[in-house]
Amino acid sequence: MSMFKLVFQNFKSSFKSYLSLILSLSFTTMILSNFINLVSSGILDQLGESQSQNIEIVIQTLSVVIACFMLFFVWYATNVFLTKRKKEIGIYVFMGLSNQKIGQLYMLETSLIGGVSLFLGVGFGILTSQLFTMILVKLSDIAIEIKFKFTISSVLITCMIFGIIYLIFVIKGYINIVRSSVLEMVSANKQNEYVKQNVIVLLFKSIIGVCFLGYGFYLAVKEAGMEVMGNVLIATVMVIVGIYMLFGGLIPFIFQRLAQNKRFLYKKERNLWVNRMIFRVKKNYRTYAMVCVLMLCSVTALGFGFAMKERSDQINHFENTYTYQIMSKEKGARQAFTSLIERKNKIKYSSEVEIAVIPNEYTDNVYKNTPYTLLSYSAAKKIAKETGLPFAYGEPKDNEFIELTHLYLMSFADEQIKTSHTINQTMYTSMEKTNEPYLGYMQEQMECMIVNDHVYQTLKPLAQCMYFYNFKLASANHFEQSVEDIQSSPFCDGLVKINPKRNENAWIQILFSVSFFVFLVFIFASGSILFMKIYNDAFEEKERYRILSKIGVDKKIQSKAITKELQIAYAIPLIIMTIASFFSLKALANVMLVPSLVTINIWSILISYVFFGLCYFASKAIYKKNIGL
Amino acid sequence: MSEKTILEVKNLFKNYGTKGFQTNVLKGLNFAIHEHDFIAVMGPSGSGKTTLMNLLSTIDKPTQGAIFLEGKDLTKLKNKELSKIRKEKIGFIFQDYNLLDTMTLQDNIALPLSLNGVSSTECIQKVEHLAKAFGLKEHLKKYPYQLSGGQKQRGATCRALITEPKIIFADEPTGALDSKSSHDLLECLKQVNEKGQATILMVTHDTFSASYAKEVYILSDGTIKCKLTKGQSRKEFYDRIIEMQTSMGSDFS
Repeated sequence: MSMFKLVFQNFKSSFKSYLSLILSLSFTTMILSNFINLVSSGILDQLGESQSQNIEIVIQTLSVVIACFMLFFVWYATNVFLTKRKKEIGIYVFMGLSNQKIGQLYMLETSLIGGVSLFLGVGFGILTSQLFTMILVKLSDIAIEIKFKFTISSVLITCMIFGIIYLIFVIKGYINIVRSSVLEMVSANKQNEYVKQNVIVLLFKSIIGVCFLGYGFYLAVKEAGMEVMGNVLIATVMVIVGIYMLFGGLIPFIFQRLAQNKRFLYKKERNLWVNRMIFRVKKNYRTYAMVCVLMLCSVTALGFGFAMKERSDQINHFENTYTYQIMSKEKGARQAFTSLIERKNKIKYSSEVEIAVIPNEYTDNVYKNTPYTLLSYSAAKKIAKETGLPFAYGEPKDNEFIELTHLYLMSFADEQIKTSHTINQTMYTSMEKTNEPYLGYMQEQMECMIVNDHVYQTLKPLAQCMYFYNFKLASANHFEQSVEDIQSSPFCDGLVKINPKRNENAWIQILFSVSFFVFLVFIFASGSILFMKIYNDAFEEKERYRILSKIGVDKKIQSKAITKELQIAYAIPLIIMTIASFFSLKALANVMLVPSLVTINIWSILISYVFFGLCYFASKAIYKKNIGL
Repeated sequence: MSEKTILEVKNLFKNYGTKGFQTNVLKGLNFAIHEHDFIAVMGPSGSGKTTLMNLLSTIDKPTQGAIFLEGKDLTKLKNKELSKIRKEKIGFIFQDYNLLDTMTLQDNIALPLSLNGVSSTECIQKVEHLAKAFGLKEHLKKYPYQLSGGQKQRGATCRALITEPKIIFADEPTGALDSKSSHDLLECLKQVNEKGQATILMVTHDTFSASYAKEVYILSDGTIKCKLTKGQSRKEFYDRIIEMQTSMGSDFS
C-alpha cells in the first residue's frame, strides 16, 4: 500500500470519529473569517467614520480573541490526533517503519484533517457571509444596507492565521513522534492502569485548587478602581488554574472517598458508575477542566453581550427622555415654545428648569470645559413630577449634594471614593448618586449637582443662569418637523434634537451580537470536545460492558449506570461553571457600575444548559450505540 | 439419585450454517445435573464444548431440544426472564477472568450482589466471608492489574458464588493459569462443592483439572461418548481419564 493510500484510509476513519471536533474547528474558522470580512468589506462604513471605527476596534479585538482560542483549540485537536496516532504507531513500528516515516504519516494525515476543516470553515464562511451580516445587523438593531460582499483578503488572512497555527502544532507533533522511543509508543496503546491516586497528592491539589479559585473569585468581585483590569487578569489565571486543580484533585478525591465507603457504594448501580467516574476523571481531567473553562468563557461572553445590550437600551432610553431640549437665557419661555411645537406636533410631556453654571474661578474644578452646574432640589423634584420619573431623595443638607450622573458603558473609577466639590471655599460632599435622566441628553454633557434650595439661592449670584425647556413628542419620529419653528423663536439659544433612530450607539449594540457569536464559538467547542471524548470513550468501554453482559448483568441496569455516569460527566463542569460564572458576571457588573447582573447571569446559564442538555442526550444515544446496548 | 435435579438437557441439537452447508455441532445430548454435582465436560477441539456452554448459559439458542433449569425450559423463555435467571440462578467463571479493571477486587466481587439490590451491609459481609475462604482477604483493596492470574480467577470465582447461584458454569477456568494457581483454584472449587455451596459444571480440556470433579463427561463429535465417576482418590481418577483419552485416540488439548 502506498503511503498516500494509507494516509487517506486513516483520514477516512479518523474523520468519522473526530467529526464533532472538525465541525467545531470549521465553525471557529467560519466565524473568524466572517469577523475579518466584516471589517475588510467596508459594509460598516455606512455607519459613519467614528462609529465604524469603534466597531472595527471591537471586532478586531474579538478576532484576536478567536484567533487565540483557535491556537488553543488546534493545540488540543492535534494533541488528540497525536495520542491516537501514537497508539497505532506501535503496530507500524513492528512493521518496520522508521520514526521519520511515521511522523510524515502523521503530518500528512493531520494536515488533511486541518485542510478539510479550513476548507469547510472558509467555504461556509463565504456562503454565509451575507447571512452572518444580516443576523449581526438584525441582532444589533442597527440600520445599514446589507450587500453580498466577500473580500479575498479576509479569506487569505483567515487561511494564514489558521495555517500558521496548524502548521506549528503539526510540526510539533512530528518532532514528538520522531523523538519518541519505540517503547513509549507501544505502551501508549496500553490502557491507563493507574487508577487510584495518592490521597495526599489529591488533597494537596484540592486545597490549592480551592484557594486559587477563592482568591480568583475574590479578586474578580473586589472593587478596586483603576486596578480592576489587572485584578481581572490575575483572577482569570487563578480561576483557570483553580479549575484544573479541582478536576485533578478535589473531584477524584471526592469520588475515591465515595468508593471507599462501601456502605454507600454497594447500592444498585452505584458500584458501577462511581468506579467508572474515578477512572474517567483520572483519565480525562484535563479535558474536563478545559471544557469547564470554555463553558465559563461562553457564558461570560453571552452575559457580556446581554449586559451590553441592556446598557445600550438604557442609554438609548436615557437620551430619548426628551425629543427637544432648548437652551435659553430667558426665563418663562415654556408657553411660547409649547405653542410653536404644537403647530405640527403633539407633546407627550415637558419640563422647564433653571440651572446655575458656576464659573471655574470659584470652584476646585480641574476640567475646563465642564463647569459645575447646580440644580435646586425643588426644581429636580418638579421635573420628576412633570416627566413621571421617580424621585426618592431626601433634601441635601447645607454641605451636601446629590450627584446627577449618567449611564456608563464601563468605568474603572473607584466607587468607594466619595466625591466632594469645593465651591466658593465651602466643601460639598456627595450624599447620593442618581442617574435618572432628569436633564435628558444634556445630563451626559455636564456635571450636575442637586443642592438644597437655600444653598442654591446663596450660590446663584456667583453663577450664570440658564434655562432648559424640554419637550418629549408623542411621536418622536417626527422630530424634524418643529425644528424650524423652534429656531425661529428669539428665545432659542441652542437646540438639541434627538433622532430616536440615530446610530450613535450602534457600536455598543453590535457588541451584543458579536459577543453572541463568540459565545457560539466557545459553546460549540466545549460541547464538541465533551461529545467527542464520550464518543471515543465508548469504544474503549465496549469491552467492559461486554463483560457485564457475560456475567449476566441486565442491559437495563447497564443502561441506567451509563445514564448516571454521563449525567455526572456533564453535571460537574456545568456546576463549576455556574458558580464561576456568577463571579465573572459580578466582575462585569462592577465595571458597569450596576449592583448585579443576576438576571442576565441566570439567562445565560439557562441557555447554555439547554445546549448541553441536547449534547447530553446526543452523547447518551451515541454512547449506547457504540457500546452496543 | 436422591438429590434434586438442577439442570436437565433433553435431546439437544445445534446446527450452524445455512441449509446445505450445515455443521451439526451437537447431536442429541441428554444429561441431568443434580444438586451438589461437580461435573467436568472434556472433549477434543471441535467436539462442541463451547457450543454446549453457550447454550446452557443462555447466550445461544439450540436448534432443537430443551434445557430445563429447575423445571423451567430456558429455550422457551423471553429475554427478560432469561436475564433474570442469569442474574439469580447462574454463576459464570471464564478463562479470561473478566474482572472489571476499573474497580477493586472487593467491588468486583460485590458487584452482582449490589446490582441485585441486596443491602450494602450484607454485601460487605458476604464478600469478606468468600474472600477469606479463597485466600483473598489481603487483596481486596487491589485492582485487577495488581493481582496474579490465579488471584484474579479466584476473585472471579468469588464473584460467581456471591449470589449463591443454583449452578456455576466454568468455561476453562484454569486455561490461563500455571499449575500451582490451577491447583489452588480447583481446591477452592472442590471445597465449596463439598461443603454443599455450589453445583458446578466445568468445561475443560485439561485432565488434571477434570480430575477434581466428581464426574467427567467426555464429549466427542457432538455426543457424550462416556461418563466417568470418581472413585476413591483423585490420582486414580486422573489415570482413568487419561486411559479413556488414549483409548479414544483424540487429542484433547
